[in-house]
Amino acid sequence: MADPDADIIFKKNTVSKLLSSFFKEDKTRLSSDAVLLMAEILKVFVQEAAVRSQKQAESEDCDQVDIEHFEKILPQLLLDF
Amino acid sequence: MSVDQEETHQRLKAAVHYTIGQLCQKLGEDHRRKFSRQVVAAIAETTFRQCDIFAKDLEAFARHAKRSTVSTEDVKLIARRSTALSIHIQNKIEELSQEQKDSKKKSAGKRKSRDTEEDSRE
Repeated sequence: MADPDADIIFKKNTVSKLLSSFFKEDKTRLSSDAVLLMAEILKVFVQEAAVRSQKQAESEDCDQVDIEHFEKILPQLLLDF
Repeated sequence: MSVDQEETHQRLKAAVHYTIGQLCQKLGEDHRRKFSRQVVAAIAETTFRQCDIFAKDLEAFARHAKRSTVSTEDVKLIARRSTALSIHIQNKIEELSQEQKDSKKKSAGKRKSRDTEEDSRE
């Protein structure tokens, strides 16, 4: 990437297609602001998952975040969203 | 599911995985704790399935409001379970509407003077 400090976010197009693919009815549409907000929510979701896993790894004194750390934080993560 | 749908599904999954990989790499560097590939894949899978739930909720909320288009109001309801997240989303909504006002000013040709005014206020 050109700018390393630029915020990493989900592409608008990706989020829009992703959500549309899960809609039960074809006529459901998304407003463009709603897509931007959903991209933000998904980013927060991923960051929460990652940071909580890191905290878990830290408390177990591990240098690398492994699947067992993610497994431990997953239930609470899903309850929070 | 048809073959075509299956393929778009796979592509979307790959796109989600890619962005999550980048996010995890950045966080790994910031906090000096790297993520194993398995964790990145697991977060990607979880996010993908969470999206399924989000999409069905959004659709139901919009339908309940007798709309066929998902609006920011529906997204606010998605974020209702966590106070911090709903405040964050509320701020984002205000930011977006502010931006829209600014772009309207731009078309009115008065942008520069007002922007500098706002900047100095901040």
